[in-house]
Amino acid sequence: MIEVSGLVFEYPSVRALDGVSFRVAAQTITALVGPNGAGKTTLLRCLAALEAPYAGQVLIDGLDTVESPRQIHTRLGYLPDFYGLYDALTVERCLVYAARAHGIAPERSAAAVAKAAERVGLADRMRQRSGELSRGLRQRLAIAQTIVHEPRALLLDEPAAGLDPQARRDLSALLLALRDAGMTLVVSSHILAELEDYCSEMLIIENGRIVGGKPVKVRDVERPRYLLEIATARSDLRDFLAARAGLDIIECDQHHALFTFTRNPGARAKLVRDMVAAGFEVSSFGESSKALEELYFAETHKS
Amino acid sequence: MNPEFQRNLWLELSPRRLILMSVLLALAFGASALSAGEGYTVADTARWLYYAIVVGWGTRNAATAVVGEIRDRTWDMQLLSALPPGAMMWGKLFGSTSFNWFGGAICLVVILGDAAAHQGVAAAAIGLVYYLAVGVIAQAAALLASLVAVRRRHAHSRLDVFVYQAVGIAAALAVYWVWSIVDPASALLARKPATDFIVWWGATLDARGFLIVSLAAFAAWIVSGCYREMRLELKMRNGSAVWLGFLVFIGLYVAGFDAWLEKDKLMAGYDAVALRLLLAMTAYAVLSYLMVILEPKDRVQYRWLGSQLSAAHLGAFFAGLQAWMMAYAAALICAGALIARLELAHPGVQTDAALIAAGIGFLTRDMALFVLMRSRPGRRGDLATLGILFALYVLAPAILKGLGFANLLLLFFPQPDAPSWVGAGFAWAEGVGVAALAFSRASIRRSSAGRSEPSPASWR
Repeated sequence: MIEVSGLVFEYPSVRALDGVSFRVAAQTITALVGPNGAGKTTLLRCLAALEAPYAGQVLIDGLDTVESPRQIHTRLGYLPDFYGLYDALTVERCLVYAARAHGIAPERSAAAVAKAAERVGLADRMRQRSGELSRGLRQRLAIAQTIVHEPRALLLDEPAAGLDPQARRDLSALLLALRDAGMTLVVSSHILAELEDYCSEMLIIENGRIVGGKPVKVRDVERPRYLLEIATARSDLRDFLAARAGLDIIECDQHHALFTFTRNPGARAKLVRDMVAAGFEVSSFGESSKALEELYFAETHKS
Repeated sequence: MNPEFQRNLWLELSPRRLILMSVLLALAFGASALSAGEGYTVADTARWLYYAIVVGWGTRNAATAVVGEIRDRTWDMQLLSALPPGAMMWGKLFGSTSFNWFGGAICLVVILGDAAAHQGVAAAAIGLVYYLAVGVIAQAAALLASLVAVRRRHAHSRLDVFVYQAVGIAAALAVYWVWSIVDPASALLARKPATDFIVWWGATLDARGFLIVSLAAFAAWIVSGCYREMRLELKMRNGSAVWLGFLVFIGLYVAGFDAWLEKDKLMAGYDAVALRLLLAMTAYAVLSYLMVILEPKDRVQYRWLGSQLSAAHLGAFFAGLQAWMMAYAAALICAGALIARLELAHPGVQTDAALIAAGIGFLTRDMALFVLMRSRPGRRGDLATLGILFALYVLAPAILKGLGFANLLLLFFPQPDAPSWVGAGFAWAEGVGVAALAFSRASIRRSSAGRSEPSPASWR
C-alpha cells in the first residue's frame, strides 16, 4: 500500500530524511516512533504528498506523490499534529466540505458525512458549531474529516495528544475498526504504551533514517504476548509452561514468565485452571503492555 | 458548486450580514441624495463606496484568503483535498470576497444606472467592464502577492497582510490612473482632458478600446499567476512556458510604446528598433528585481538545479528555473541585441553600448547579491540586500562625490556622462564575483559525516 524508496528530504541547511526505504502492507497499523527531531513529521508530510522529496520515490496505492499529489489525496487521509477547524461552521458543514473537497459527489456526500459522524460518535452533534466543541470532540471531528472520503491509507501524527484516558481508549477502538474496514494506517506518537493497543508493526526513525531498515513486527494479533506472575517462586515454572501446546516462552524466571499464546479466552482460562491445579499461586496474568517499548529499546540499542 | 466557493459563501453570506450591508448602503445613498450639491451626485458616493468595499476591503479579504487558513491551521487540510488548483484559486478569490461583491453590486446598480441615464447604455456597459476589471485585478493582485509570499515563509504578521493588500490597491490605482486618461468623467480626483487615441507599434488606436483590451489581458495574466502559484502551493509542478509567454507578452506590449520616447533628446542615437529593445530590456530588468525579491531563494532548489545542469538534464533544469532567472536572461538577450543594434547602426561612433553593458553587469551583481544574502542564516536577507543596494547606489557615491572622487562612481552604477567600456568591465567583474560567492554558499551542512549527495533523481 505504501512504498518508499531512497527518500531524501532536505531543509536548507540540514538533511531531514536520508535514504529512507520501507514498505507498509495493506490493512495494517504501523507505529512510527522515534525521538524528537528524528524526522517523523517530515516523513509523514512526504507520504501525504505535502512535501516534494529531493530524491527518491513515495508510492501510495501505486501512485507517485510527485506525479499525482491530488489523485493521492482522494485515497489518503492525513491528520497533522497541529490542525485547525472552521470554528464558525457546524459539524455537518465541516464534514460536507471535507467530503466534497475530497471528490465525493454531492449526491453521495450526505451518506458519507453521516457514516463518518457515526464512526467517531458525533452523529448527535451535527448542528453544533465546531468552535463550541470540547478538545476531545474537536479531535473526533478532525478525524471524521480525515476519513469522510474512506481513504485507503490513513496517516495520523500524534492523534492522542491531549486526550483523556477514555478518549484515548475510544481512539484505539476507532483505529482498529478502520483497519478492519480495510484501511492501512501509519500512526506517529511519542507514547509507546498507547500505540501498543492497536499497532501491529513499528517503524523506528532516528536521524532521518529507519533503524534496521524495515518495519519491525510488534505482535501477532492472534497470538499476543502475555505476562504471568506467581506469588511463590517455583523452579519448574519454565518446564510447566513449555509443556503446554501452542505456548512459546520469550522470557522466564522463578516468579515471572513472558510468552505468546492464543487469544482464545477458553484456552487462556484452561491455562490458568491447569496452573492452579498444579499448585502455582497465580497472582497476575494478562496481556503484556510493554512489548512495543521493549522492542523499541532493543532495536535502537542494536543500532 | 465548487466546494471551496460554497464554504466561503457559508462563512461570508449570512442573512444578517446581507441585510446589514443593504441597509447601510441604502442609508448612505439616501443621505447623499439629500445633501448632494452641484457637481456631486449619488453616483459619486456610489463610486467611492464601490472602491472602498470592493478594492479597499476586498483586497484585505483576498490577501487573507490563504494566509488566514495558514494562521488558523486549516491550510494543511485544504492542501490535502483533491480540489484542482483552478477550483481552489477561484473558490478563494471570489468566495472570500463574495460579501464585498454583494455590496459592490448594489453600488454598481447606482453607478451604471446614472451612466445609462446621462451617457447612454453603451457607456454604462463599458463602465461595467471597467469596474469589474478594477475589482478583479485588485483582488487577484492581493491574492497573488500573498501566494508568492506563502512560498517564502508561512508566518505572516498583520503588517505582511497589509503589504499584500497594498499590492492589490496599487494595482487598482494603476488601473484607475490609466483609465482616467480615456474617461476623465469617471475619475473622482484628477479630471484631465480625455485622450481619444494611443500610438502603439506605430499604429494609431482608439484609446478606450485599447485600454479595455489591455485591462482584460492584464486581468487574465494576474489570474493566471494566481493559478500557477496555487499549483505550486498544492505541490504540482509548473513548466516555464507560461512565464516565458508572459515575458514575450510584456516585452512586446511595452516595446510598442516607442513613440513616447522619440522626442526625448537623450534618445537621439536610437532608431525605432533600438527604442523598442531598450523598453523591453528595461521591463525585463524591472521584472528581474521584482521577482527576485518576491520569490523564495531556496538553497535546496538551487542545489537541485545545479545537479540537473551538471547531469545535463536540460529539460528538468529549464522547467525548474525561477521567474527572476528567466526575466534576467530576457534582459540579457535584449541588452545584447540592443548593443549590437547601436554598434551596427553607428559604426565608429561612441554610443550607449558600454552604458547598457554596465547596466546589465550591475543587474547581474544585484541578482547575485539577493541570492547570496538569502543563503545566510536569518530571515531578513532581502531587507539586508535592499540596505546594501541603498548603500551602493546612494550612500557610497554621495560620500565619494563629496570627497572629490567622482571618477570612481563607475564602480557603483552606470555613468551616462562618461560611457566607457572600463565601467562595464568593473560592473561585470563585480557581478561575476558576487555570483561565484553565492554559488559557493549553496552547499549543505551534513547532519552526519560521510553521507554522500544523492543522485539527482526526482525533483521533477
